[in-house]
Amino acid sequence: MDDDQVFKALADPTRRHLLDRLFERDGRTLTELESELEMTRFGVMKHLRVLEDAGLVVPRRQGREKLHHLNPVPIRLIHDRWIDKYAEHRVAALADLKQELEEETA
Amino acid sequence: MTTMTAQATQVYSIFIKASPEQIWEAITTPEFTHRYFHGTHVTVAADTYRCVDGDGNAMIDASVSEYEPPRRLVHTWLALFDPEQAAEQPSRVTWEIEAQEDGTTLLTVVHDQLEGAPKTAESVSGTGWMYVLSGLKTLLETGEPLAG
Repeated sequence: MDDDQVFKALADPTRRHLLDRLFERDGRTLTELESELEMTRFGVMKHLRVLEDAGLVVPRRQGREKLHHLNPVPIRLIHDRWIDKYAEHRVAALADLKQELEEETA
Repeated sequence: MTTMTAQATQVYSIFIKASPEQIWEAITTPEFTHRYFHGTHVTVAADTYRCVDGDGNAMIDASVSEYEPPRRLVHTWLALFDPEQAAEQPSRVTWEIEAQEDGTTLLTVVHDQLEGAPKTAESVSGTGWMYVLSGLKTLLETGEPLAG
């Protein structure tokens, strides 16, 4: 599972919507998810497939049902690799700016 | 921040650049676990699950129900380090280890049967298992712990 697949999977409003539905209540069947989207069963399956390939959704069999679970780990790894780094830098830059401005006025 | 009730079945999966045998060793031997599992020493055998802190106090009470190295491990889970969680019903943790064609290994942790353990469900969700699994991945791939 690489970052490209995760970004690609997240770059679609329907797939983000599916993740939000699973975040609210995890472990749902295709039929349940389909009922919340104005889309054909085939369309929902295609989107779930992209999410599965990216590791964001993990299907698990429970009895006769296939339940879809949200796997938050890839988002966490993206966060650690891409968000933390730049957000921290921004914060540090602002802290430096504050310090510099305060020194000037001192 | 969105707050909500933690799920009674939680699934976490992560690709690790290591063999199934290395991952199995890392989750069943104390020399590894104390470097990523909140400093605890975990020893797992077919009939034993022991998880203690540095002073030897039991942190988790668990019994092993499936033991198939290096592919599958199932054990119960009752956290003893927090009195509120210790008073709840035991839940279940399943570790699945699958070698991939590209030389990586997919590790999936399923923490379920949490219906009778809402405090535990909350504690292991969010960054709970993710912190442990990220630490395990970093340790196996770089030889260094994630933190400290």
